[in-house]
Amino acid sequence: MKLRGLRLVTGLLLMLFVTGHMANLMLGMHSLAAMEHWRPWLMGPWRNPLLQGLLVCSALIHIALGLYSMSQRRSLAMSKTDVIQLCLGLVTPPLLLNHAVVMHMAGEVTPNFDATFGEFLAVYWSFSPGYALQQLCVVMVVWMHAAVGLYSWLVLKPLWKRIGGLVLPVLFAIPVLALIGFAEAGKEVVEKLANDPVWRAHITENLKKIVQVTDPLDALQARILLVYGLLVLSAAGVLLWRMLRDRAMVSVAYDEGFSARGRRGLSILELSLANDVPHAHVCSARGRCGTCRVHVEAGADALSPRSSFEAYTLARVGAGANDRLACQARVVGPAVAVTRVLPAYADASAARTPEEWATP
Amino acid sequence: MTMASWSMQALDATRERIEVLGRDLVQGPAELADVIGSTKAAMMTGMGVRAFTYVVILLLVGIGIEWLYWSYAYAASRAAQSAPTASPRQALRPGLRRFFLRLCGLFLFAVAAIGASAAFSWPRGVQELVIAATLFLVVLRFAWIVVALVLAPGQPRLRLVPVASGRAGWLAALAMAVVFLFSLGRFVPELVERLAGASHAAGFLRFAAVTLASLLLLATAFIFFGRRTRAPRFPRAFVLALLVMLAYTSWLMSPMWGAIAAIGAAVIALQIGLRELVFFFWREDEDRVLPSIVLSAARFVVVLAGLGIAALVLEAPLASLAAAESPLIRLGLRLIGVATLALLTHVIWITLRTAIDQRLSRVPPPGTHRGPDPSSRLLTLLPLLRVTSAVLLLVMLVLTSLWALGLEITPVLAGAGVVGIALGFGAQALVRDVIAGVFYLAEDAFRIGEYIESGTNTKGVVERITLRTVALRHHNGPLHFVPYGALGTVRNTSRDWVIEKFNLPLPVDVDSEKIRKMIKKVGEEMAADPEVGPAMIEPLKGKLYRIDPGVKIFRCKFRTAPGNQFDVRAQAYKRIEAALARMGVGFADGKQTVLLSAPA
Repeated sequence: MKLRGLRLVTGLLLMLFVTGHMANLMLGMHSLAAMEHWRPWLMGPWRNPLLQGLLVCSALIHIALGLYSMSQRRSLAMSKTDVIQLCLGLVTPPLLLNHAVVMHMAGEVTPNFDATFGEFLAVYWSFSPGYALQQLCVVMVVWMHAAVGLYSWLVLKPLWKRIGGLVLPVLFAIPVLALIGFAEAGKEVVEKLANDPVWRAHITENLKKIVQVTDPLDALQARILLVYGLLVLSAAGVLLWRMLRDRAMVSVAYDEGFSARGRRGLSILELSLANDVPHAHVCSARGRCGTCRVHVEAGADALSPRSSFEAYTLARVGAGANDRLACQARVVGPAVAVTRVLPAYADASAARTPEEWATP
Repeated sequence: MTMASWSMQALDATRERIEVLGRDLVQGPAELADVIGSTKAAMMTGMGVRAFTYVVILLLVGIGIEWLYWSYAYAASRAAQSAPTASPRQALRPGLRRFFLRLCGLFLFAVAAIGASAAFSWPRGVQELVIAATLFLVVLRFAWIVVALVLAPGQPRLRLVPVASGRAGWLAALAMAVVFLFSLGRFVPELVERLAGASHAAGFLRFAAVTLASLLLLATAFIFFGRRTRAPRFPRAFVLALLVMLAYTSWLMSPMWGAIAAIGAAVIALQIGLRELVFFFWREDEDRVLPSIVLSAARFVVVLAGLGIAALVLEAPLASLAAAESPLIRLGLRLIGVATLALLTHVIWITLRTAIDQRLSRVPPPGTHRGPDPSSRLLTLLPLLRVTSAVLLLVMLVLTSLWALGLEITPVLAGAGVVGIALGFGAQALVRDVIAGVFYLAEDAFRIGEYIESGTNTKGVVERITLRTVALRHHNGPLHFVPYGALGTVRNTSRDWVIEKFNLPLPVDVDSEKIRKMIKKVGEEMAADPEVGPAMIEPLKGKLYRIDPGVKIFRCKFRTAPGNQFDVRAQAYKRIEAALARMGVGFADGKQTVLLSAPA
């Protein structure tokens, strides 16, 4: 569970950086000059070696933790949110790699290269628009990943009741405004390239520096991509191995006559999802929300022991002595009988205010 | 236009079309490569970047609005999804609720995305492209919502059609692939043609999409409908494949015919499967009537929908169609009207008949229990109602159909009126009997098995009730047929209870109190008797009634269920006689004591 906390923190850090970047892009709606003027404030701090190191570490840790948690899955039965997050997360590094490598390495490989917005916008809008298309996809993918992550974390907090109405619109206004800024600034850059020969010469000169180092940068990217691909494949391999390892079958009997069958070692929630048993799971099996909790009627010793984290969540939502979190309790014995405590339509409010959903 | 010249024209059109197709096939790929190349080149400019930026913005706006919507609607959707369902009929309501919730979300997405596109200044032609792409996405998502409603892959509880669990996912995927291909063939070639002017490439794309979709449909027909699940009535898979081939061939000849043939094929295919689909909803029930009604209505709706879609596809202006001069079209429209009327009448008739039959089947057959039968009234009235409503509905259907076909029915009605008056005078008595009968029965004046006396002094047990008369069996045997009109006041002696009284003449010197007690005792014994007791309502009692010279007359009285009084009275006599014998009291012998004074 500490790993999940770390993943959250690194994710938030990355999101902070992206938000600053986007805010800087928004200023393009005003002018290119405004973007450049605010750059030291919005993005400059991240050039500080300490923060830059922190950022790179965060990105690496976040990716590694994502891959690790993928490999630690026991089955493909997961919530829609998880599917979306997994897919978006997996495609982000390859899409973003180019931009990140050029930004961070160009300065170090080529002396006195100034990575201004004007420079990059000129590249994107005029010299090689292919990169721009890639970056636009990245904006969408990264921001959706971040928004889904932030939302599913915040929505469980009591705080959400007060700020929820504001957060969602802001979450979507940021990328939309940033993209509009990007388009407006692009228009300005294209005009400036056509009408300002001095500036154009400066940009081209600068560009030549980077073109010289394209080959080593490309080679670096290829190597990173290769490593990443291998990591993803090995994570998938571990997942496959875990799925095929134990093929003994167990069964769960629910209230209302539902029943589920599946491999031994799956959690009760995974068995529910795989067998079309309606079962609430607001936090997507993170063990945070407590909506999936079940009352164990029989076969309590067929379940994996309770972790301290599970006990904490159970205590927080005021669960009884025989209650378990279906997402944490794995079925290791042959059969177990449970009653779902909350209706399947329980939403995040059941996590925020468990007392309102307590069964009379 | 003769048949021959018409066929010639059709053949010419087909030949032309096939030539065009051939040219498309030859030149299409190269032209398509050109179009793709130039599109790529266009994307790699500032214009392309701007357009793509806007597209991403639209998507984000659409997704954002939909997300906001789902943050409120998700719980309702989950509730619908997890509602307890034991049968497809129970699954229909939550399924539809979820369907509409998702439809709402899709609608918001489409409106937000397309609406936001108005806010930007687009490069030439790009907005069209973007809107087409959005619509394409919306069509696909809509298709998915429908497929999820009907097939519910992975959720057998919510499935509305009889498809096995393992196959629902594949069938859904095939359906989505077909929809994808068809909408691709609908949206992309049009854009290619209009924006790039590449008609051959467009033709090639259309050909490829339709051919692939037809192949997929053929595969679907054989894979999913080839298996025999029940006694085969006809080769389903073969017929379906034939329909696909027919539609495809017609499309090769002319796109318009292709569309019509496809609609026709869809209608026929649905008609083939409709019985199974509809009866699946009532698979647990014994009742076969309701599904039959729904089936006939569904068949009709499918045909009507097919006609409607065909009219839309042909872009036939419906308003002018109604006012069309061509007698054929007018006749067709009128026939549709008549068919609608027939269907309506059919549904009303089946509903009425079902209601009546169900009521009738709940009535026990006459004679299964003792006493007059309360069911006889229903057994008389309900069939009468059934016949009457059938005749009424049929007459109404014929008249309205004639009217819908444009025949003047006023003279028929007027003629019927005149004939009616003439007949009415003649049949006055008949009508009076029938109507009086309806009221007698409705008021429950008598039932089969009851003993009645009519106002005309005919009496007997009701043996048969018909539309016009009631048959009374006199206790001596003769059977009276009394028309209801002549029945008059009915005296029903078989209702609720009867009181029977009889006299007991005893010698004048008996002890009245002893006798009264004896009779009361006999009454108590009779009430306790398992044979007579149940029929008795009030026990036998007696008291001194009159004293005549030499005779004390005791009057006895008891109350029984109707029809039992004679048996009970016989029993009472028997027991009283025995009791008197035990007491040593004889009946008044009627002997007159004559005292003769001896002559002095």
